[in-house]
Amino acid sequence: MAGQQGAGLLETRIHSTIVVTLVVATCLASAALAETKKEYRFTVGPNANISVDTQYGGISVHPGSSTEVVVTAILKSDSVEVDQQQNGNRIEIASHLLQGATEKTGQVNYELLIPADATLSLHSSTGPLSADHLQGDMTLEGTDAAVNISNVENGHVHVRTMRGPITLTNVRNGHVEIASISGNMQMKAVTGPVVQANSGSGKISYDGDFGLSGDYKFTTHSGDIEALVPQDVSADFRAHSMVGRVQHDFPLQSKHSRFPVELGRSFFGSAGKAASEVVLRSFSGRIRLKQH
Amino acid sequence: MTCSDVQQLLPELLDGAPDAAFQAAFDSHVETCPDCAGLVSDLKLITSQAHDLAETDEPPTRVWVNIAAQLRAEGLIREEETAPGPVLVPSSPRRRWSAWWLAPVAAALLAAGSYVVSHKSAQPIAQNVPPPQPVQSAPMQSAPVESAKTDIPTPSSTSVVASSRVAEQGPQEVATKSGHSASAPPRVVSAPSSKEDQQFLSMVSTLAPSSRATYENQLQVVNADIQETQAYVDQNPGDADARQHLMDAYQQKALLYQIAMDRIQ
Repeated sequence: MAGQQGAGLLETRIHSTIVVTLVVATCLASAALAETKKEYRFTVGPNANISVDTQYGGISVHPGSSTEVVVTAILKSDSVEVDQQQNGNRIEIASHLLQGATEKTGQVNYELLIPADATLSLHSSTGPLSADHLQGDMTLEGTDAAVNISNVENGHVHVRTMRGPITLTNVRNGHVEIASISGNMQMKAVTGPVVQANSGSGKISYDGDFGLSGDYKFTTHSGDIEALVPQDVSADFRAHSMVGRVQHDFPLQSKHSRFPVELGRSFFGSAGKAASEVVLRSFSGRIRLKQH
Repeated sequence: MTCSDVQQLLPELLDGAPDAAFQAAFDSHVETCPDCAGLVSDLKLITSQAHDLAETDEPPTRVWVNIAAQLRAEGLIREEETAPGPVLVPSSPRRRWSAWWLAPVAAALLAAGSYVVSHKSAQPIAQNVPPPQPVQSAPMQSAPVESAKTDIPTPSSTSVVASSRVAEQGPQEVATKSGHSASAPPRVVSAPSSKEDQQFLSMVSTLAPSSRATYENQLQVVNADIQETQAYVDQNPGDADARQHLMDAYQQKALLYQIAMDRIQ
C-alpha cells in the first residue's frame, strides 16, 4: 500500500517536473521569438544619405522632418540585432544576424521617416521595399523583394531584383532604371528624361503618356511588353520582337526607319508631335501598344 | 648569281654591296628575274615602313611583360630560358628595333582571336538555314503560356520558364522578307554551366546554402536565354538587334552575379 502511494507521488512529481519544464521552455521560446521594437533618431542636414540593409524583412520609407531621420525597427527575435552608424550626413542601418538565425527569426522590419530630399539606398532579400513621396535619388535592391515606389519626383530611381516584382506609380521627372531577371514590372504615370526597364522573363506593363520628351527603353527576353497610352500621346514608337508578335491598336504615322520593319514583328511610327522616343524590344515576348 | 644567292644575301645587299662587281651581278639578276625583283621590292617597302615607325609607337613595357607572361603560361618559353636568351622586354632603346614587329603580330593575333571568338559558331548564310536540332540535356517542355509567364520558377520548373512564345509559334516559322530566320531555335532548357558558374554556385552553397536552389534556378534561366539568343545570332549573324539581345542576356547574367555578390557575404 505504502509502495503504491510512493509510486503515485513519484509519478505526480515527474508530471509536475515535465509541466514546469514545458512552461519554462515555452516562456524561453516566446521570449526568444518575441518581437522587439527599437527606435533610432538621427539629426541630419540637407541631402542626407541613408542606407538600410537587411537580409530578411521589409523596409518602408516615408517623408518626415527635414532635419531628422527616424528609424523604427521591429526585430522578430533576439537572433538578430540592428547596427546603426552615423557619419555626418550619412546614416547606415544594417541587420546583423546572429548564430542560428533563420529567415523567420532573423527578420527585421523597418519603417523610416526621412527628409524628402535624402538619398536613399535600401537592400533586402525578402522585402517588401517601399518608398513614397520622396524627391531624392534612390536605389532599391532585392532578391525576391517586391518593390513599390510611388509619388516620387525629380530623383534618380534605380531598382533591381532577381525575382521580385517592381511597381512604380506616379514617378515624375525621374531618371528611372529598373532591372529584374524574372520579376514583373508595372509602371503607371512614370515619366522622365530617361526611363529604362530591362527584364528577362518578367512582363513589363506601362500605363502613362511617355511625357517630358523622354527617352524610354523597355527590353525583355521572353516577357511581354504592354504599353497603354492616352489619345494625346506624343512620341516616336519603335517596337521589335525577334520572334514574338508586335501590334499597335491605334494608327501611327509611319516613319522612315533605317531598321528593317517586319510586319507583325516590328513597327516604327509616331503619334502627336513625337516629343518622346519609345523603344520596345523583346526577343520572344509579345509587344502590344494600346490606347485608352 | 642565282635566285638562291639573292635570297640569301638580300638583307645585306639592301644595305649596300661590298663591291661594285657584286652589286652589278645582283642588279643584273634582279632585272631579269621577276621573282627576285618582287622580293626586293617587298623588302624595300617593309624596310621603309619600319623606318617610319617612330619611337613613340613603341608599345609600353607592360605589353611586353604581358606577352612574356602569356608565353610562359602557355609553356612556349620557360623562365630559365629567358634569362640568358633574348629578352622580350626591351632593356635599352638600342634593342627596340629588333622587336618592333611583335606589336603588329600581337595585334593581329588579338584581332584573329577576337574574330574567332565572335564568329566561331556563325554560319555564312542566314537564309535557308534550318533551325538546329534541339541540343537538350533534359526533355523540353512546352508550358502553358500563362503559367510560364506568371509562375515563379522553381527548380523543377526551370525548363518551362520563358520562351513560351517559341512554343506557341513553333520552330518552323518561315523566313521573313528581311531574310532573317524569324523563328527562334528550340530553347535549350538546361544550359550547361561554365566553370565560373560552378564556382559561383559553390560560393553560394558555402555562404548561403538556403539560397543555392534559387540562384541555380535563375542561373539556368539566364544561361538558357543566352544560349537561345546565341543560336539565333548564329543563324542571323548580320542581325544587329539579335546581337543587342545577346548583350542584354549577358547583362542579365551579370545582374544575377551582382545581386549575389551584394547579398551573399
